[in-house]
Amino acid sequence: MTKIFIDGREVEADPKQPLVHALHKEGEDVPTYCYHPGLSPVGSCRICQVEVKQGDMPARVVVACRTPVSEGMQVFANSPKAHEVRRECLEFLLKNHPLDCPICDKAGECDLQDFSFNEGQSFSRTVEPRRKLDKRKSLGDVILLDEERCILCSRCVRFMEEVPKTPQLTVSGLAARSTISTFMDRPLTGNYQGNLADVCPVGALTLKSFRFQARVWNLKPTASTCGECSRGCSVIHEVLRSDELKRTRPRENQQVNGWWMCDTGRFAIDKHELEGRLTGAHLHGNHGLKATKTEEALELASNMLALHGPPVIVASPWLTQEEGTLLVELAQSLGTKAHFFSPAANGLADDLLHTGDPAPNRRGLTELGLEPIESEALLESLMEAKSALLVGERIIDLIGEDQLQTLPAALRLIICDLKSVSAPALNACFGIHSCVERRGTWINVDGQRGRISMCRPAPAGTLELENLLRSLTSGTRAPASA
Amino acid sequence: MVIVKRKQLSLFERLYLPEIFRGLGVTMRAIFRRKITRQYPEEPLVTNAVTRGQPRLVVNEDDTIRCVSCGLCEIACPAYAITIDGQETERFIEREPERFDIDMLRCILCGFCEEACPKDAILMSNELELADTSRQALIYDIEKLKRPVSSLQDRLDYVYKLNNRWQNSSSTS
Repeated sequence: MTKIFIDGREVEADPKQPLVHALHKEGEDVPTYCYHPGLSPVGSCRICQVEVKQGDMPARVVVACRTPVSEGMQVFANSPKAHEVRRECLEFLLKNHPLDCPICDKAGECDLQDFSFNEGQSFSRTVEPRRKLDKRKSLGDVILLDEERCILCSRCVRFMEEVPKTPQLTVSGLAARSTISTFMDRPLTGNYQGNLADVCPVGALTLKSFRFQARVWNLKPTASTCGECSRGCSVIHEVLRSDELKRTRPRENQQVNGWWMCDTGRFAIDKHELEGRLTGAHLHGNHGLKATKTEEALELASNMLALHGPPVIVASPWLTQEEGTLLVELAQSLGTKAHFFSPAANGLADDLLHTGDPAPNRRGLTELGLEPIESEALLESLMEAKSALLVGERIIDLIGEDQLQTLPAALRLIICDLKSVSAPALNACFGIHSCVERRGTWINVDGQRGRISMCRPAPAGTLELENLLRSLTSGTRAPASA
Repeated sequence: MVIVKRKQLSLFERLYLPEIFRGLGVTMRAIFRRKITRQYPEEPLVTNAVTRGQPRLVVNEDDTIRCVSCGLCEIACPAYAITIDGQETERFIEREPERFDIDMLRCILCGFCEEACPKDAILMSNELELADTSRQALIYDIEKLKRPVSSLQDRLDYVYKLNNRWQNSSSTS
């Protein structure tokens, strides 16, 4: 560690990191546009300038993102000179920046807006018209570019080069006509395009799917974990008006995902729709499914499992550790083994984040003693069994509705899922909470624990799976103890 | 318990009639004074540019709405009366409101929305009357809120005047 002085305070700085890293770590509010901790520094925006004095040399102004720390360096981040150069730099950046904030989707989380609010002047010294460029340039299916808003920090160019290692963007044109563009105007490809909207410090690169969906200050963020592959990236789910899940963005976690996440997880919000959700307990009678009191249905289900045993118990890999523990208890009380459905790899694997395994808690459930079971083996055992319990969200989709319909009517099938299925074997079904509506823990492929949290209230009438499993366990034990 | 002592009336007061005539005298004098009561429903309220009535959305001369649904009035509203959803438009301003609801039962006519608006798209009109038979009918949607800019021109000029005064005073300080 190197000893440096920030505004007279003596601090320890990491010599491998640029000066701006130490400044941010000490809580100095030095703005950065082109610098991103996950990308190589270039020093093109010049907004992070600070005054540095070394030895007997007179103080000079340097860009903090391209200056390595050295022993005994004296940094003045808040000196009048440092503020002055930053303000001048900001004025140049704002010279051609359109007054779009009321329309811009980035407003509210925009670095340029924040800094000009803190430090900039509220009037413009120029009378010349601002540059006119393409405001709606499509860069593929995910990203929309507003060339006027771009401040040419080149974070997006470096992101594409350094993180997914698929260089597709470049700065083309000269001087004030420079724009970000793809080579030969080809659309962007790859599974990491969504991160471009996150790295862009202004509203130039925005997500097409989030365009004009919400104002960011109305979104309620909740830290959670992505459930689209076994990597379990740390994410933030953002919810509008208490129950509309509008956006998922990555949360910094150096042990798992760094600053990034893949588009598969980012755009999985469509999978958490509220429509068509199964609520409460239903029993299958002569006239199809019929809503029943939860206690009644649970009693019937536990009797069914106890009398027509040993049942086949299969969990969805979306089950949390807490629910998995309870399921193992239930299986033990019924004298059988709990399995979890092991979905096949979905072919999206890459060497950055996506593991290609759509089961988010495979490692955790395996550690709990649940056995993975493949689709074919599961169907075989379901054909022979007298009763079966399928537990967890997406279990119907994983096994397949068609496969469930072919099961013999003699099988007593109990399902806990977000939706129901019309199968002759179905006897009871319970509507449960999805992974954005409950709390719990998943363990990712490397053994890192990821918390999932309640981002929105569950639809009225849906049941908590932990309670269901507890009731089933006590219900199946009751006849034995009586 | 409070024991109230009655005032002892004097002989003059107990005579009764002189006091009646004194009271009638007050009435007679008031008859010839200038009348200040207004026959409200028949006689409309006098309003001017300073009147802070119900908020209304400005529609330009070319029938386009000025609002870009930036959400600043929504967040400025202390009564949470405003709900906005934006949508894309082909016009130059890129976004316009798809839904713009003001719950008039919540609105406290404070004028913060007008003050927050960067586009002069929401203005406090001179409309003050608000009566209906259901709560739902008093949640005004975008069609009920639209007013042509000509009908709000007085208020617009007044707002500009206010803003200019604010700008001049801040630049001199």
